Amino acid sequence: MARGQKIQGKRVAKKLTWRQLLELDGCARCGECMVWCPVYEQDKRECITARGKLRSLRNIIRDSIGQQEREEFLESLYECSACGQCHVVCPIRIDTPELWEQAREALVSSGIPQPDGQVKQLQTIKAFDNSFSKPKSERGLWSERAYQKGLLLKPLTLWTERITPVLYFAGCTASFDEQMQSVAVQSARLLQEAGVDFFILGNDEPCCASKLRRMGDPSFQEEALKRIELIAGLKVETVVVSCAGCYKGLYADYRSLWPKAQKVLHLTQFLDRLLTEKRLPFKYDVNKSVTYHDPCHLGRHNNVYDEPRRVLQSVPGIEFIEMPRHRAFSYCCGMGGGLKVANPEIQHKMAATRIREAESVGVDAIVTPCQTCVLGLQYGVKEISSKIEVYHLNEIMVRSICPDVCHNNIMQAFGYVNKEAL
Amino acid sequence: MLDIQTSVSYYKPWTLFWLSVLFAHVYLDVILYKRFKYWFSGMRLKSFNKDKIGLIVRIWLQEVFFQRHLLGFSKLRWIVHLLIFWGFIALAFLSISTFLVWAAGLLNIDGGRSKDILYGSGYRVIKIWGNAFGLALLFGLIIACYRRFIVKPPQQSQEQMDIVLLLFLLWLTVSGFAIEVLRISLINPAIAKYSFVSYIFAPMGRYTFEQLSPVLTALWILHSFSGVLLLVYVPHSKLMHSIVAPLVIAVNAVEDHDRRDIYWPEARRYRGKG
Repeated sequence: MARGQKIQGKRVAKKLTWRQLLELDGCARCGECMVWCPVYEQDKRECITARGKLRSLRNIIRDSIGQQEREEFLESLYECSACGQCHVVCPIRIDTPELWEQAREALVSSGIPQPDGQVKQLQTIKAFDNSFSKPKSERGLWSERAYQKGLLLKPLTLWTERITPVLYFAGCTASFDEQMQSVAVQSARLLQEAGVDFFILGNDEPCCASKLRRMGDPSFQEEALKRIELIAGLKVETVVVSCAGCYKGLYADYRSLWPKAQKVLHLTQFLDRLLTEKRLPFKYDVNKSVTYHDPCHLGRHNNVYDEPRRVLQSVPGIEFIEMPRHRAFSYCCGMGGGLKVANPEIQHKMAATRIREAESVGVDAIVTPCQTCVLGLQYGVKEISSKIEVYHLNEIMVRSICPDVCHNNIMQAFGYVNKEAL
Repeated sequence: MLDIQTSVSYYKPWTLFWLSVLFAHVYLDVILYKRFKYWFSGMRLKSFNKDKIGLIVRIWLQEVFFQRHLLGFSKLRWIVHLLIFWGFIALAFLSISTFLVWAAGLLNIDGGRSKDILYGSGYRVIKIWGNAFGLALLFGLIIACYRRFIVKPPQQSQEQMDIVLLLFLLWLTVSGFAIEVLRISLINPAIAKYSFVSYIFAPMGRYTFEQLSPVLTALWILHSFSGVLLLVYVPHSKLMHSIVAPLVIAVNAVEDHDRRDIYWPEARRYRGKG
């Protein structure tokens, strides 16, 4: 496949839904998407906006696209964090993230591959079942080591030992990334502290494959069905996911293929339930003024705004201040949609903008329940040499409930070099 | 029935006009048929939840008729869009209904009421309605021009055809008023007053029928055939969104009925960037 080959409009159109074909003609070119687009704010080209992309996609389908416009479109389609801000502000609610993903898939099916960086990442995911090029045998190591180091109250139950009503799905990043394994350990420990009877898949946990969908890989459905079969076969009551990307995959992407996908909860939703049941044993004050960053995959994409806020505000000692852009208007950190792979410089600038916004409300820290956003925001801190701290929501929780599993302790126990304080 | 002459019989090339309307209509229908066929050639939609029909209808009404989302962004844009939208809809309704009444009279199925509605007791309603919504449309277009050419917001589309369309709509509205201004100057002022906007500018009794007749014919031809041209141009212009946008809003309300957060009434307060 080559990115220079002719695109057949009819083949692209066949891969879109009739809602999407209708949406392509529905754009009134009002430009509201341009006003709000965080990527356009960094790269002021019309082709970056949803309006520009819709126009080019329309021209592709009508086989009337010029060479320059085509090149710009193929670049801008991937130079997008798929944050969904344009979906929210569009007067007719064109579901842009869904459309871009479908357009990516349609183009790949028509012989136009993704940019090289994304192709490599997809190959890695398919070869290793994770994007870290790590063998499957290392996926469950975090839980064994955490118990050995005394970070868990008891060993975690594996699915091969006993099936309980709740499955904790850690995801690739929290399983393999040294800087983020603390998220998996802390999630498991918080569930234990609340007395939840749960199990994990250990080395058998698959990658959720949502990145295949994000980057428009046509094998997504096939791969997703394999995972659905595995998880549905467990007959659990609830799947708890600590990664916002996995949540979007398991909850939203799988929903059309798996009606029972509604059983999937993000960790913050589950913690919110535990909070209502008064099962979260807060012990210590966490004296910090914090703001909350809505991950796009949780907020705009899946309407999860209130639960994480309730959980965060329930921590004793926390002073909570909202940033000007929050909830459906939260400013994207730039880590989604493959943008980080396609154009890291823009991601850094977007994250820096978000950090400046957090600084403007005078807080000590910015908190988010998404490990990818944590990494993204840390790039922003570096970019502008900010003093603001970036925390995963878990970190705030454990500092009040079980401070022995704070990020630094986990890193020390695991013998990792702590690059960033969480 | 009004006992005073309300119509002015200057020459209008009706045969040519109706032939061109027929041609334009067929053209528009064929294009729309092709577009519908193309839209529905796409893959199937997600499931439709019948239990949510009330919510879906409410969202559609709020978004299409009240255009609540635009109000959330900018009061000025909301007013402009509402004036143009309702002005256009009301005038189209007036044209279609008066045509139907006229056709019913022609076919003798009106029970003898056609003339009274068009030129008698219904005249004042037609004129007040036409002037009120014509004025709304005119105001909307003037503010849109002010926004496009004076305010120049950065997100404004730079497509030449969008500018042409705006000026074309302005021409249609102004020429419509110009015909009315000249026409009512030839009738009794007591009746002419019902065209309350045109009456302000009408040179009452200053010109004779013979003087104005060729001007009225020329203006009528330009105005009417511009309208026909607009009908042909609709599927190739930004105006297509007036047909497609309500459909998209309906489909999206069906699919996203559980996403109340994307129907956001207070967007303006978040516009201050971080």
